[in-house]
Amino acid sequence: MNSSQYYYVHLLIIGLIQIVILNNVHLGSYFYINIYMLALYILPHKVKGIPLLLIGFGTGILMDMASHTAGIHAAASTLVAYTRPYFLRGITEGAEEYGQDGHRMLEAGWFFRYSLLSTFLFHLVLVLMEAFSFRDIGISLLRIVSSTFISEVFVMLYYFIGLKRLTK
Amino acid sequence: MKDIIRLIVKYQFTLFFILLEIICFSLVVRNNDYQRAIFSQQSSVFAGEVAKATSEVRNYFRLRSINEGLARENTALKNRLEAYASRTDTLVADSAATYTYYQARVINATYNRTKNYLTLNRGERDGLRKEMAVCAPEGVAGLVQDVSERFAIVIPLINTSSIISAKIKQNDYYGPLQWDGDDYRYSYLNDIPYHVQVNAGDTIVTSNYSSIFPEGLMIGVVESVDKKDANFLRIKVRLAVDFRRLTYVYVIDNNTLEEQQQLEEQNRHE
Repeated sequence: MNSSQYYYVHLLIIGLIQIVILNNVHLGSYFYINIYMLALYILPHKVKGIPLLLIGFGTGILMDMASHTAGIHAAASTLVAYTRPYFLRGITEGAEEYGQDGHRMLEAGWFFRYSLLSTFLFHLVLVLMEAFSFRDIGISLLRIVSSTFISEVFVMLYYFIGLKRLTK
Repeated sequence: MKDIIRLIVKYQFTLFFILLEIICFSLVVRNNDYQRAIFSQQSSVFAGEVAKATSEVRNYFRLRSINEGLARENTALKNRLEAYASRTDTLVADSAATYTYYQARVINATYNRTKNYLTLNRGERDGLRKEMAVCAPEGVAGLVQDVSERFAIVIPLINTSSIISAKIKQNDYYGPLQWDGDDYRYSYLNDIPYHVQVNAGDTIVTSNYSSIFPEGLMIGVVESVDKKDANFLRIKVRLAVDFRRLTYVYVIDNNTLEEQQQLEEQNRHE
């Protein structure tokens, strides 16, 4: 299997996990578990520009359809797609030496940093869009932090179980 | 144009991102009841604030026309009051209004010379004639000296050649009011006999011996009394009208002036 076929397999698995399992897990209103952003995190490196944004937007819209929240997930995941090129350039110093193959860039250290930042931004937008006001900003911040934490745990879990092993 | 396109191409990534986020936002607002409620609430507050601010600005620019409207209305009211007053004067059989008011605006004025003049935006075609009285809302302003088709020149109280008959409201002693050419805020009432008791703060009004001014129009208040002269007092009067801020004035026409002067003239010859 080449890298794009790997990608589609992951996409399918991630989507199933998210929609079938995680969307039905309720840990109170402070914890949202979202790992479908992984679909964006593990995109082949060559996907950039407007297609990247469209993929981000489309992923979010699909999630919105699954969870009946028109636009909220789309707004958050579009932001994740938008910030991706900047993070790839900024956080991963010397990213070029990993070459064009996206999967070889899945080195644990920088993947953690990149995914943590993106996950945080994702939940920042998600929670604020859902609250839609700055009135209870304290509660919103708490939800952002706790959701980022729990989601990042699951993201890294998937990283170690699924991605790391498959790419080796 | 080419530059604009180049700019759009250069920032297409960011622009497209913003476009997508706007789409998301509109989706959220349109499809989620909670967010729609908050959005419409906030936007109506915002729209209300904007409307308030713009109406405040617009009101400011409308002040002038509002002032003109009010001055016009005041003129009409004064005229009606005059008609009413003459009707209640049972000593006069023919009850036509003695005075007619015209509204005018000061379009040019001097205040720092000894011979100051005002220019009004009303003239002969508006019914103004020579020797009509000119009043501000606060009190007497001056006398029409000359009129052209559309403008009128007024000798204000602060002109050394302006002399009008004034009296102390309290005890009806009267004398000529003349400006000394110094401070535009003060004028002097002369020829009041030495024995008359005058206090600072007493009101000075137009006398009933002036055929031009209606009786009892406000001129000013006594500032100080000078008893230097042997026989007469020199009373310093703080003028009611601020000539540096004069804008809207009334021109007062004495309808019976001509008849009165004619009669006086005839009898003087005999």
